[in-house]
Amino acid sequence: MSAVSATGDRRGTIQSVDRAARILRALGSSPRLGVTEISDRLGIAKATVHGLLRTLEQRELIEQERDSGKYRLGAAMLQLGNSFLDNHELRARSLMWAGSLATRVCEAVRVRVVNGETVLIVHHVFRPDNSLQILEVGASIPWHACALGKAVVAFMPPARRTGLLAADLSPLTGRTMTDPSSLRPALEEIATLGVAVEDQEAVVGEAEIASPVFDHRGDPVGAIGVVGPVERLLPDGPAPTLIAAVREAGRGLSRDMGAGRFAARG
Amino acid sequence: MFGIVEQLSPWFAHGGTRSPGGIGEDRFDRCLRVGGWCPRVSRQSTRRGVGSPPLGAFIIDAEFVRRWIAEAAARIEDHRDFLTQLDAAIGDADHGVNMHRGFTAAIATIQSAPDQPAGALLQEVGTTLIYRVGGAAGPLYGSGFRQIGAIVSAARSPDREVLLSALRAGLDAIQALGAAALGDKTMVDAWQPAVDGFEQTLRAGGTVDRAARTAAEAASAGVEATLPMQARKGRASYLGSRSIGHQDPGATSTAIIFGALERAVRPPS
Repeated sequence: MSAVSATGDRRGTIQSVDRAARILRALGSSPRLGVTEISDRLGIAKATVHGLLRTLEQRELIEQERDSGKYRLGAAMLQLGNSFLDNHELRARSLMWAGSLATRVCEAVRVRVVNGETVLIVHHVFRPDNSLQILEVGASIPWHACALGKAVVAFMPPARRTGLLAADLSPLTGRTMTDPSSLRPALEEIATLGVAVEDQEAVVGEAEIASPVFDHRGDPVGAIGVVGPVERLLPDGPAPTLIAAVREAGRGLSRDMGAGRFAARG
Repeated sequence: MFGIVEQLSPWFAHGGTRSPGGIGEDRFDRCLRVGGWCPRVSRQSTRRGVGSPPLGAFIIDAEFVRRWIAEAAARIEDHRDFLTQLDAAIGDADHGVNMHRGFTAAIATIQSAPDQPAGALLQEVGTTLIYRVGGAAGPLYGSGFRQIGAIVSAARSPDREVLLSALRAGLDAIQALGAAALGDKTMVDAWQPAVDGFEQTLRAGGTVDRAARTAAEAASAGVEATLPMQARKGRASYLGSRSIGHQDPGATSTAIIFGALERAVRPPS
């Protein structure tokens, strides 16, 4: 992410905008930073950093702490983040399906879109049991370690799928599939079943069952899935009622996205 | 989003930079006075392996296991809210509650099995932790303790060398399950330096007391080292670079368990 802007191809881009974006990313990864810290971290002269910070502050993208004089992200960032989510078609259409799926199976539901090699959570409905849970919207997870990612990749065109299989597949737990030769048949099975199951491959103790979501072209654009403790989701293999509920939500959401009735083709 | 993180972040800014993040020596020593459950069993009645070492030499007996788990449970109770607050920042805000529930259940397990040898007790503690802690910590700590118990059970004379290999095997079990390495911002960052410190002290001719003290100190230092790390395993890794600057709750509870071990290797006076 920030590595791209630091080392990637910057032809045809504007340096000051690039620097301002890197400052925002740096502030997004730390609670608060001072001018010197930002200057050291990004390798930009202090005077330049100061000017950029003042500009960003005027636009309310960042704010300065009164006590320490250090900078942190501003309130406008929240509005921008919310606008991103509000303008996201899959997310907007998933609200109803995710809510009713969570109520039906009494587990947490997450909706994700594929974003490069990771999947980005764009909607998260808590398990409806009043327990303390932390919102995971905005989190990104390697596609190969979660059911949502595998559900989407299984239905991608072969060339794209091969490219993703050739990329870095590092383990998140001892059960993460990292070998393309074992992932490939697993993806084929998902394409046949129309549902992906993940058993503690992203977080120890957690399982996920997910169904892909297709758009009007029949392309996989994201996935909707149930996540929870492995002993509840996969008591003796995946619970059939869960599979049915997840598959139904995936189909319903695909129809809302304009997909044809038989979008989920193997 | 992550509203709780924002609420807590000023607190973390101080708690994080203040050295061992609240679990330093003074904190541990204070915990010792918290009403730990320590049954008084005369040393003669304690089961010993075949070919018992001379009286006074360290041996992993049922009494040691009781001391360790009771001490760990008391310290976890004392730090329950602290662990949960750490977890709220980069996890799902249940680590303290889960660990407290699990170790309370582990004490009940030990109490209900008065005649079990040390290895079997540790294995049962592990099984209890798997089912009662839940989340990721349950399977991780549970398989760790089950493996520790398996090594102790297999040993003819479970001395300090067996404790070393048991702690090492516990680490291996945790790594097999979680695939975490040093620097991933997990319990491995406390557990691995602790075992290494324990081993180095024994190799240098140190006593088990000294080895356990080194292990506890290394675990605490390992916790501190997790602060600047970016999480690469577990739910905290979802946050990417936002996990930087927060102390890892799993490493913290591991340091608490090694702090309890340091106390448990010293027989009650």
